[in-house]
Order: sequence, then structure tokens, then C-alpha cells
Amino acid sequence: MAGETYAVEAEAVVKRFGSLRALDGVALRIRRGEVYGLLGPNGAGKTTLIRALVGLVVPEGGTVSVLGRRMPNLDVLAQVGYMTQQAALYSDLSAEENVRFFAAINGVHDGVREALELVDLWDRRESLISSLSGGMRTRCSLACALVHKPDLLLLDEPTVGVDPLLRVQLWDRFQRMARDGTSILVSSHVMDEAERCDRLGLIRFGRMLAEGTVPELKGKAGVDRLEDAFVKLSEAATS
Amino acid sequence: MSGQRVAAITRRLLQQFRHDRRTLGLLFGAPLIILGLLGYLLRGGGAVPMMGVVNLDDGPLGGAIASQLEQLKTVSASTMSQASAEKQLRSGDLAGYVLLPSDFSARAQQSRVISPGIHLEGSQPGLSQTIVQAVSEAFAALAGQAGGVRFAPQVSFVYGGPSFDTLDYFGAAFIGLVVFFLVFVITIVAFLRERGQGTLERLMASPLRRGEIVLGYMLGFTVLALVQAVEVLAFCLLVLHVHNAGNVGLIFVLEALMAIAAVNLGIFLSMFARTEFQAVQFIPLVIVPQVLLSGIIFPISTEPGPLTVLSRVLPLTYAVEGMRNIMIKGANLGWSSLQLDFGVVLGFCVLVIIAGILTLRRRIA
Repeated sequence: MAGETYAVEAEAVVKRFGSLRALDGVALRIRRGEVYGLLGPNGAGKTTLIRALVGLVVPEGGTVSVLGRRMPNLDVLAQVGYMTQQAALYSDLSAEENVRFFAAINGVHDGVREALELVDLWDRRESLISSLSGGMRTRCSLACALVHKPDLLLLDEPTVGVDPLLRVQLWDRFQRMARDGTSILVSSHVMDEAERCDRLGLIRFGRMLAEGTVPELKGKAGVDRLEDAFVKLSEAATS
Repeated sequence: MSGQRVAAITRRLLQQFRHDRRTLGLLFGAPLIILGLLGYLLRGGGAVPMMGVVNLDDGPLGGAIASQLEQLKTVSASTMSQASAEKQLRSGDLAGYVLLPSDFSARAQQSRVISPGIHLEGSQPGLSQTIVQAVSEAFAALAGQAGGVRFAPQVSFVYGGPSFDTLDYFGAAFIGLVVFFLVFVITIVAFLRERGQGTLERLMASPLRRGEIVLGYMLGFTVLALVQAVEVLAFCLLVLHVHNAGNVGLIFVLEALMAIAAVNLGIFLSMFARTEFQAVQFIPLVIVPQVLLSGIIFPISTEPGPLTVLSRVLPLTYAVEGMRNIMIKGANLGWSSLQLDFGVVLGFCVLVIIAGILTLRRRIA
């Protein structure tokens, strides 16, 4: 079954906002248990694509399947963790209360401690979100996204504003979770993070320009640096 | 102090308003709407209170008073039988009637005291006052001819009583209004915060159903609202001693229904505001006209004709009427008027719950 191989299958997805084609026939396939990096500049359509995966955006064309189920489908969302770009948390609740709430709406009541420990926030669990630093909020937001142990984790620029040390820690965790079978989509516009992904998709103007492992993409473009590869592949696709 | 820096702030503010057309519209539109409404209410030539004249007088004085009353512009008086007057008084069609007994002329001659019976409906102090004043005026006009006659009417009330005052009248309505208003404001702001901080997006990307979100909100705020309702009710009854002739439990149920309606109205209207700032603007647009037209301050029976139609459409009208029916008239659920009030408020609750669920934007599950 195709649904067994791929955690996400999106085909020819189209979404317009007025005259802007945010998604222009984009295709995306994420294999089970891989870390997939969605790379592209600001406004490339990364967030819109992720929102289409969880059903927040209804595409005008194309199909989206998540964990083998055609979207929109509410029940499959219990197996999906979604971390928005902005640390969407209740600022007048404590870190623990936030994580507990997001666990509960996914029908889970344990794993709160585990999730908070994973992001090094267990000691600060009683602090109100409004009193936490930006980096801590990002970590708490991540804990909220993974507390219900989802099979698919969608992370929209999770490392923006996170210091380098923490960034390394977070990536270690992503990779460990992937080894345990979680499929992870990470969007980013930072190229050095991309090196740590199993596969990459280069997105621009709502289209998938190129897809593959890091060496594959470098080879395709005939360059040594991923940044150069992105520029070259981008030029090749638009010219 | 730098003029340039001050000017920068001023300019920025005006620029922000230029991008927020809705706020501008409110700033310049709302005062005209509210004042226009108020002007129409007060000067629109609404109906004056209806009163009956029951003339049983064997002598000439009764007839003279009756015709004097019928000429007055402050009330609409008409002669009728006592049975008919009593019936219309009970049904609320008459604000009051004056009874001129058979020995009225004779006693006025003998004792030089004129004491007609004034029977008032009593639930609206303003109207009662107008009636008493009208009767007194009619006598004053004749007093010149009679000479040295004292005016001592005997006033009786169907509801309330002589000690029934303006607070009793407004209190009944405000118990419901305070809860409705505060719960509405809190919900609409809370729901907008949910959208603004991005958590609503997270909820939407979870297995939660729209109905579950709306119901969860409703229960949470209703708990708060009910505690508030108990507090408001206890304060009004025990501290302010607002007149209450009815069942406290019934008042509480009506308050609870208004709170539920307010929560869902808040959720529904929050969909039409982008910011908390815009949400607060719903207060003058949604609350003020309802307060003016729901009969809280101005009795609906005395409004200009077209406005009474509008009043009869507003749900708050029925909530206020229900509160007064219970507290002032001691109504129970056997009364058809109270059944109507409860029915409309309940219907409105259901309507806004459905509207809230439908407008909560989300893909079709």
C-alpha cells in the first residue's frame, strides 16, 4: 500500500490567494521515518503547504494524503503534531498546563513530563509562558506538538530565533525521533540545517524545484555548496 | 520636548486609522446612529400611556373630569366600564384607570375633598406617574370652578406598590443586562486572543470538532457567568433590596440563558473582528441600540411605531420583559407572556450557538 510507504503524499496542489499563486501545482512525498527538509525563501509557499497538509488550507486543486488518509480528515490529525511558526501558546498558562492541554485535545493524558524533559523545560514547568524567553517558548511549543507522540511531525521553521547550541540539540532530537519511526517535516530557509535532513525539497513560487538527498541535489547542480545548488536549481527552473 | 517626535506619533496614529476603515466608520457613524435613535425615541411622537376613565358619578362632576381627561395630550384616556377597565389593566393594555364613584359629586360638595380612585398597573413607575399627574391636572383645571377643593386620590397598584421605585424597575432589567454585557465582552476578547496568539490555528489542526470548541467555550464561560449571576442577584435582592415578587430560581434560569446567549454571540461576532480593538467596537453597535430599544429605559408601548417593530425583533427585549414579569409581576411559567419571553431567549440561544459553530472557519470534516 502506498500509504504505508509515505507519511505524506501531495499531488499537484494549487492554492491561490487573490491573484497570488501560493501553491502552483506542488507535489510532496515524505517517506515514513525520514526527516524531510522543506527549503525555500520567504513567501515560497512553505507555510501554505504545511497548512494544506493539516487541512487548514483547502486546496483548489490536487490531492493531499496524510498517513494514508485523504485530507481533510479530522481523526488522522490525532497522529499529527503541528508546530506553527509563531510559538502559539497560552501566555497566561504555565508551560506544563499548555503541554497538558494540547495532550488532552489529542486524547492523551500522559507523556507530559517526557515531552517537557525532551525540550529541557521540566524545571521551568510551573513558569507562565509570558515569563519565558523566546527560545523557551519555542521549546515549549515543540513539546506541545509532540506530546501525543504523533507519527508525523510538521515543524514550521522550528529553529528561528533559537541559539546555535539549542539548535544542535533540537536537531539531535529530530533525528532520534525519526529513527524511532516518526516522520518529520521541517521547513527552513537556513541552508546549514538542511545538511541534517534525509531528503530535501526546494520550493519556490509555489512549485517544487528539485527533490533529493543533499549529495543528489549537489550533484544535480554540479556544485559543492548547498546554497549554490539552490540558486542554480532555482535559476534553471525559472528560466 | 521635540515637536518632530510628537508629530511622528500623531502622524503614525492617523496613518493607522487610515488603514482601519472600520474604526473610522464607527468613529463617525456610531454617534449619528446612537443620537439619531435617541432623538427619534424621545421626539418621534410615540404613543402616550393608555388610561381608562370609569365614570359612575350620579352628579355632573364626573362627566366634566372625564371630558377634561380625554382632552389631555399626555395620556390617551377613554371612558369604559369598570369590568373592562380592570381586565385591560390586568392584561397590561392600560397603564391605569381612574374610578369616579357614584357619590363623587355629592362628596365633593359636602367635604370639599375630591378623592377619585386611581388604579395603576404599577410595573412601570414612569407611566404610573404620568397617569397620576394627568388626573391631577384634570382636577386642577376644574378646581378653579369648584373653589377651595382639596385633591386626595386613593391610589392602588396591581404590581409593585407605593414604595416601588425606579431602582426596582431598572434593577429587574439590569440584573439580566449586566450579566449579558460582561459575558459578551469577555468572550469576544478571549476568542480573539485565541486567534491572535495562533492557538486557534493549533486547535484547528487537531482532531477537535467545531462544535466541541464552541461547547467547551460555552461551558467554561457559563460557569463564570453563573457565579457572576448568583453574585449580582444576591447583591440586588439582599443589599439593594430590589423589589422581587417572583421565584428566585426562575430569575436565575433566565440569567443563565442570557449568559449562554452572550457567550455564543461573542464567539459568533469575534469572527467579524480582526483585533480586540475592533471587537470592542461591537459594544456601541450591538449593545447600545439594544439597551435603548429593549424597553429597559423607555417603555416599548410609548415608542414611535416603527421602533416598536424593531424592539419586538431584539432578543434583549424579551429577556428584559421576562425579568420584569418575574420580579415585578411575580410571573411563573404558567403565564403565557413569560412563556413567550423564555421561548424567544431560548430560541436566540440556539440560533447563536449554531451561528457560532457555522462561522468558526474550518474545513469540512
